[in-house]
Amino acid sequence: MFTSRTTGLMLVLPAVVFITVGFLAPVLILLAQSLRLEDGWGIGNYLAFMNDGLGREVFWRTIKLAALVTLAAAVIGYVAAWAIVETRPERRGVLVGMVILPLMISPVARTYAWLVILGRTGFLNVLITNLGLSEEPLRLLFTETAVFIGLLQLFLPLMIISLVSALENLPRDVVPAAQTLGAGWIATFFKVILPLTREGLVIGGTLVFTGSVTAYITPAVLGGSKVLMLETLLYQRVSVANDFASASVIAAILMVTTLAANRLLRRLATPRRR
Amino acid sequence: MRRAALTSVLALAFGAAAPAAAEPTLVLSAYGISQDAFKKILYEPFEAQCGCELVVEIGNSAERLAKLEARKDNPNVDVVVFADFNALEAARKDLIQPLDPSKLSNLDKLYDVARDPVGDNMAVGYTLYSTSIVYRTDKITDMGSWKDLWRPELENRVAFPNITTTQGPLALYMAERAWTEGQPSQGLETAIAKVAEIKDDVVTFYERSSQIVQLFQQEEIWAAPMGRFAWGNIMKLQMPLGWLLPAEGQTGGLNVASIVKGTEQADLAHQLIDMWLSTEVQTALAEALVDSPVNREVELSGSVAQLMTFGPEQVESLRLVPPEQLLENREAWLETWNAKVAQ
Repeated sequence: MFTSRTTGLMLVLPAVVFITVGFLAPVLILLAQSLRLEDGWGIGNYLAFMNDGLGREVFWRTIKLAALVTLAAAVIGYVAAWAIVETRPERRGVLVGMVILPLMISPVARTYAWLVILGRTGFLNVLITNLGLSEEPLRLLFTETAVFIGLLQLFLPLMIISLVSALENLPRDVVPAAQTLGAGWIATFFKVILPLTREGLVIGGTLVFTGSVTAYITPAVLGGSKVLMLETLLYQRVSVANDFASASVIAAILMVTTLAANRLLRRLATPRRR
Repeated sequence: MRRAALTSVLALAFGAAAPAAAEPTLVLSAYGISQDAFKKILYEPFEAQCGCELVVEIGNSAERLAKLEARKDNPNVDVVVFADFNALEAARKDLIQPLDPSKLSNLDKLYDVARDPVGDNMAVGYTLYSTSIVYRTDKITDMGSWKDLWRPELENRVAFPNITTTQGPLALYMAERAWTEGQPSQGLETAIAKVAEIKDDVVTFYERSSQIVQLFQQEEIWAAPMGRFAWGNIMKLQMPLGWLLPAEGQTGGLNVASIVKGTEQADLAHQLIDMWLSTEVQTALAEALVDSPVNREVELSGSVAQLMTFGPEQVESLRLVPPEQLLENREAWLETWNAKVAQ
């Protein structure tokens, strides 16, 4: 007979084998490849990437855009989530459903829709010129603005959903309590609501930031080669230049960046000990 | 391939008594595009004629070249088709062997540019295409030169092929000729610097020719350099778009066929290539809108001819990039471009 310990081990075994073969080993091989030089091992590939002006530019652009998208998603997300939580529970389902609905449409279709909306003869430019905000249609496509808009629309639902569940768990009476004690809306938000919903913010923020850093279709279609991000540069290095050394460096940088972002968000959200 | 393996096992098993019964196999390494048309027009008629089996391996040129290199000492491919500069690279790596012109009865029918494009009879061209500027004829009336892409009216209205595409270096090559008054540098420095000057005014550096169609359709752009193979899709837009014949000429690309070094089927390989170059096959491939012909005897109806790179006037005006220049400078161009344009 098996003891419960061996039974337990045998039950996890398939999953462990799967994770090792299907995930851990490939990741380690990838990381090893990025350290492989023509004559031995070292961090030469990383130095070459960071010394290359294009590599640096693309890295900082990726971080900047992902951070801006995360910030904008947090601001819009709190407002939207608060509105959803404030509605009657029977209507809440409909609103949450409307937020989730875009997630069920392929990101390719959604991104191509932006291609039409942001075009020179597209909806947004017609609106802008008709309102007299600009005489000439603006060039929005293939700019950082276009990538920002596309990513924000793509990942905002993840932030809203995370914040809705966090706000739902917020005790109903903390806001009136804070206001009774003389706190204004801003103080109430930063001193009461934000600390109590930080878990949701961290989860939503990690999802949005990671998603933005690793998105391929949106920067490829709305940004193109003029607004390269790490993912699009990675694709270019592999499929066009056959340069696997710098491609694996980019893949490693992507991994480290998303892990670091998660740690940072957690640290920001954890209240300092007194 | 499995049948080939089986045949050789059988041949071994029956020893020297049976080799005459084994049907020979010829392996072709080709681009994946339009395989259905090739099968009908070339592969099946060839098999019927040669009494052999034709096996086709497909893939993009970079990966097929890598495979040839990996199997250098024990080749499993007999005929390979790719771009002219790929053939030159293969020749320098000793992966292909010279063709025997006496075994190619259709060689004399070809345009000069296709007969011996990389030297030493290492390859023969089987199709070519032109690369020039497509532009809105209603918006700009007096286009005439590659330099016109830099005109102020076209600010924010031009797309340029990215250097990483096949068309990128070709367009730069012509821009270099135009801006240096026919004294181009190997490094294309002038052209790249010129592109860098207007990089903020270029709508995008496109990476697939399908993008061009959509950019014209949305009136995002009024002009762009592109390959003739995408012209059919551009015409479908039913917009006032024209194909420019610039003062400096058009450039383009040439695809070639070569025989892999060490093949045991050299005769069959020549037969296949010869059939590919025949007036009949070249005409059928053009009419199926697969490949523009290099055979001068091909005659096409007006509507088909309009979609292809066709006729001596078009073909002889092509200023193709010498394959050695492309091969030897590609990386340097990419480096200059990344330093000046991509950042």
